[in-house]
Amino acid sequence: IVLVTGAAGQIAYSLLYSIGNGSVFGNDQPIILVLLDITPMMGVLDGVLMELQDCALPLLKDVIATDKEEVAFKDLDVAVLVGSMPRREGMERKDLLKANVKIFKSQGAALEQYAKKSVKVIVVGNPANTNCLTASKSAPSIPKENFSCLTRLDHNRAKSQIALKLGVTADDVKNVIIWGNHSSTQYPDVNHAKVKLQGKEVGVYEAVKDDSWLKGDFIMTVQQRGAAVIKARKLSSAMSAAKAIADHIRNIWFGTPEGEFVSMGVISDGNSYGIPDDLLYSFPVVIKNKTWKFVEGLPINDFSREKMDLTAKELAEEKETAFEFLSSA
Amino acid sequence: MPEPIRVLVTGAAGQIAYSLLYSIGNGSVFGNDQPIILVLLDITPMMGVLDGVLMELQDCALPLLKDVIATDKEEVAFKDLDVAVLVGSMPRREGMERKDLLKANVKIFKSQGAALEQYAKKSVKVIVVGNPANTNCLTASKSAPSIPKENFSCLTRLDHNRAKSQIALKLGVTADDVKNVIIWGNHSSTQYPDVNHAKVKLQGKEVGVYEAVKDDSWLKGDFIMTVQQRGAAVIKARKLSSAMSAAKAIADHIRNIWFGTPEGEFVSMGVISDGNSYGIPDDLLYSFPVVIKNKTWKFVEGLPINDFSREKMDLTAKELAEEKETAFEFLSSA
Repeated sequence: IVLVTGAAGQIAYSLLYSIGNGSVFGNDQPIILVLLDITPMMGVLDGVLMELQDCALPLLKDVIATDKEEVAFKDLDVAVLVGSMPRREGMERKDLLKANVKIFKSQGAALEQYAKKSVKVIVVGNPANTNCLTASKSAPSIPKENFSCLTRLDHNRAKSQIALKLGVTADDVKNVIIWGNHSSTQYPDVNHAKVKLQGKEVGVYEAVKDDSWLKGDFIMTVQQRGAAVIKARKLSSAMSAAKAIADHIRNIWFGTPEGEFVSMGVISDGNSYGIPDDLLYSFPVVIKNKTWKFVEGLPINDFSREKMDLTAKELAEEKETAFEFLSSA
Repeated sequence: MPEPIRVLVTGAAGQIAYSLLYSIGNGSVFGNDQPIILVLLDITPMMGVLDGVLMELQDCALPLLKDVIATDKEEVAFKDLDVAVLVGSMPRREGMERKDLLKANVKIFKSQGAALEQYAKKSVKVIVVGNPANTNCLTASKSAPSIPKENFSCLTRLDHNRAKSQIALKLGVTADDVKNVIIWGNHSSTQYPDVNHAKVKLQGKEVGVYEAVKDDSWLKGDFIMTVQQRGAAVIKARKLSSAMSAAKAIADHIRNIWFGTPEGEFVSMGVISDGNSYGIPDDLLYSFPVVIKNKTWKFVEGLPINDFSREKMDLTAKELAEEKETAFEFLSSA
């Protein structure tokens, strides 16, 4: 049983079909799909439900549309929390955090009360890292490791920029890392990334031969890609976000390929990179048996150290602000 | 790995394309070992938005997408094509008469037909989605005389999938257990969803749909109306058209052309009516039941047609003939 929140919205519209057609959980895994959104969106959600029926997808055993948490969160195996309060014109960061703490505290409590304890929770709605931490704190009997947030879109964007630079396909680039917060302080790190050039695997720094680009424009391009897409499309990047969500969930479900690691926002407890505990921070991870582990022992140079600490600092401040509201939410 | 195929999608900055492009790029239409050069065409005012779509396709990191080209120029878009999916068309605006809509679209599809003739491979498969799909398809085909008429088809698969889904919901099975529904005629409100020859898998056995449903008046009444009006129902609920399910239907339609239809199953496609054995006049772009093999479709022959079906099939043929007449008034002046 898979829940998608914000189900009447743009990202869900691109995502639901991939979930229903077997490309996320496999071609022999039947699914009961639960769609949650706010009450004013029930009419639109009904239209989405009609379309899913018209897609005639054999794996979709049932589709349930609801605005009630006690229906939405019941017996869940997977929860994809896409819905969040969007930033409106004139809204301060504090206001955004306050509104979202309220939502994710409630949804965390609903997970605690109704979902299976084995539920995997993937948070997409921004601010993703802090929303994820809020939900986890509000669901204390669900293991912290079951909660993750999406930094896979930034990870895929980083791969794609390297691929475009070198004239290869994105599939030939692996082991990029996104450290930290899914925000403008994220650090796309290719110090440990490899690219397949003419059949041989080469380090990305070695292949690109342009350190100043890799430490400058490359990072900025990846950080600002979301804004660039919105500027061009006048809408947010639903297609590529949905693809990243599908990748993230598929890796949780089936594990990561041998020799490859991916980026996920996870609880920082026990990491060996000097990032403080109790933050929801994006790390390189490998996954096996639906369980992730930090990739250990990657050497960190001074340039990386500074950037990793900067994004950790932002996350600590975000957490502090958000948790002021947690008790009153 | 085979050579890349060149696939064009028009109306590429729009809703339906946005749901479709990802399926094309991820291998689920042409297969997991077929590399693709994806060409995106839209009108000049949409080039900014199209650039955003191109960025997103890059960010999807799809290994089969060898290249993505965004353009507003027909000579770039139609060059050396293997497949053309013509989604873009002039939408109906408030106050627009049917005649105006036909006139505007004849202009577009005459030009695109001529571009196919001039630039595309002669083997190109053309799938027309933009409405009025049947007449737009015929217009394009007439404007590309040296491309075989059989290479042109229009989408009625969405209606076909909707019909399957309504039967499945009625009987409490999944849509996959329903096969051989037929959509006859025009992709419009005169379309005729026919389940006289359809079968459903119930408790492991295959049963005729009329036999399984046991409600002839529903099958001849509300069922037909629901399928015919489903598009409007989705627009009413979503406030937007049914892009997701349309994209899925387009993917199904193309996949069947590419890989053939499964044994014992047929699908619905708008095709040139020449040589059909169902009494539909020649030279119409009409939806029929077809089987496909080696990228070539053939009419399903010999299905018995009762009086009820006969009347409905003729009604939609009549509408198509009138549409064709109106459209072709404009063809010479377009």
